[in-house]
Amino acid sequence: MMNDKHLIHLTVNGQARHCEVAPRQHLVDFLREDLGLTGSHLGCEHGVCGACTVRLDGQVVRGCLVLAVQADGRSVETVEGLTASASMKDLQDAFVARNALQCGFCTPGMLMAAAELIETQPDADREQVRQWISGNYCRCTGYQAIVDAICDVLASRKAGAAQ
Amino acid sequence: MKAPAFDYIKPRHLDAVFKLQADYGDEARLLAGGQTLLATLNMRLSEPALLIDITGIAALKGISLQGSFLRIGALATHSEIEASALVAQHAPLLSLAAPHIAHRAIRNLGTWGGSIAYADPAAEWPACLMALDGIVVVQSAKGERRIAAQDFFLDLYSTALAEGELITACELPIAAPDQLFAFDELARRHGDYAIVGLALAATRAQAGLVGVKLAFLGLGKTPLRATASETWLGQRPLTVDLLEPLLEVLRSELDPLADLTNSAATKRHLALVLARRGLTAMLNPGNR
Amino acid sequence: MELNGDIFIDAERERVWQALNDPQVLLASIPGGEEVRQLSPTETHVRVLIKMGPVRARFVGKILMSEVRANEGCVMNFEGSGGAAGFAKGSSTVKLSSEGRGTRLHYSAAASVGGKLGQIGGRMIDASAKQTADLFFKAFSAQLSDEAPTVAGAQQAPLSEQPAPLRSASRPEPAASPLAGEALRVLWFTLGAAATAFGFWVAATLR
Repeated sequence: MMNDKHLIHLTVNGQARHCEVAPRQHLVDFLREDLGLTGSHLGCEHGVCGACTVRLDGQVVRGCLVLAVQADGRSVETVEGLTASASMKDLQDAFVARNALQCGFCTPGMLMAAAELIETQPDADREQVRQWISGNYCRCTGYQAIVDAICDVLASRKAGAAQ
Repeated sequence: MKAPAFDYIKPRHLDAVFKLQADYGDEARLLAGGQTLLATLNMRLSEPALLIDITGIAALKGISLQGSFLRIGALATHSEIEASALVAQHAPLLSLAAPHIAHRAIRNLGTWGGSIAYADPAAEWPACLMALDGIVVVQSAKGERRIAAQDFFLDLYSTALAEGELITACELPIAAPDQLFAFDELARRHGDYAIVGLALAATRAQAGLVGVKLAFLGLGKTPLRATASETWLGQRPLTVDLLEPLLEVLRSELDPLADLTNSAATKRHLALVLARRGLTAMLNPGNR
Repeated sequence: MELNGDIFIDAERERVWQALNDPQVLLASIPGGEEVRQLSPTETHVRVLIKMGPVRARFVGKILMSEVRANEGCVMNFEGSGGAAGFAKGSSTVKLSSEGRGTRLHYSAAASVGGKLGQIGGRMIDASAKQTADLFFKAFSAQLSDEAPTVAGAQQAPLSEQPAPLRSASRPEPAASPLAGEALRVLWFTLGAAATAFGFWVAATLR
């Protein structure tokens, strides 16, 4: 029958979950409404604004363009998990230091996207940072402070690695 | 907006896919990366009864060297192609084009086969496929067939895929050591649909560049090979002296379609800018 | 979006005009046409399923004809709603002129598409409109060259050679007669009424 629920088994922020989901429900709605993880936000719901960016099997994805049923057998990380793991504490501190958030709506998506850049391209320059986060829209800050924060972290991690 | 209700199934084998397609017809849609389909459903621009998730089918995965061809499975994601050492070595044009595709989050899920089957005229992979004279391998319940890139893209969002057929892979002739490639696209912001883009391939010879191939995206209803210009050049090597004459031929060959923000004249102008830049860089002896 | 073009149709002007006014011919010509119903001599209701890439959007709307010059041309104003997909409105002018044994049909249209389809499809509206127009006229001409001359209820010729996503759809609803047919119906009705009246008179006389 249409929209019969499917049982999915997945890991969310390190925790095993077993849930029933309707096929039509996308991942972010599932995270927000079924699991109460409201850190991930919905803006455009068609993949362009980046507010819904989460990690699926370690890679950033648009949570609005993944169905919850597709997360069966996989692992999901949201901004709540990112914070809990403290793996990007320096990035989060830099965001505060640089005033890289005002209303905070885009921030979780920005953090998730930036985290993947920092982990996969530690030598990224300012231009590359700008290109990378161009998939995340911010209505408040004008972006410069966000780019500054990310560049700060890239620089300090590089300096830390060099020591 | 939220997607309408539908059923979901994830078969393990292609036979099951074909059976489902035969049963449901147009009421079933194939789900691969979903980066186009799910956006379409979220906007209620389609209300299928069933989504057939093909991402579990092993036969559609993988990037491998097969003799003188590089086989890229339909389910290879844009990110996998971007990161692939095999692609960097044997089809470097794709490595150059990949970072231009949307943004990282889309590239992590969007697929090679999906992009080619969708055939957006502003997409990167169809133009690359045309520039490399690749072959699209398709399969249906009736068997497999191969379609040359130049015969595949027929019209706006229309390909040679018949009902009940899906793309399993594409085969690209591997790059020769003396081949040069370039890719560039112009967009107002990185990740936007390209206003115009160009995939270039050529072979470096003593006297200049031979076998120059130009495949444009964003100019018309399909990716466009500048065949008239390529034919005009013919067997002659392209040298610095022949560049402007070639661009003149290209200017008269190109007949772009305007879109909402760019007139046909703008598109033609920008296409020539890209051609001039790309070919000049290739002709520059210091290049690569 | 603006669109114009012309096409040569291998049929006489009168037949082309008739076909343009025949809901069944229109239904068979419109790519994705599902229903064409004439509400009055100048108003036609249309339902179309648009298939473009992954999009499947149903538009319901109406066409209002004005400045009708039989066998020569008319102006059509159309507006339609695609629900969540958006809306479309516009107008087009059709002119017919005889050319040899056939007809030159010239059309020009201006339309705006709003809502979702306009926003995301916007960059492709011109191209897809042209493609739709091409398909329409190809199918329209094919019917005129295949069929034997008939009055109302033109036969639907099989539509081959369309790209897969733009198949023409299902059975048309029984359509109201076009202009010429309407006059015929009135004639038969009058004859029928007269015959009935005569019958009563005969019956009354014979009793």
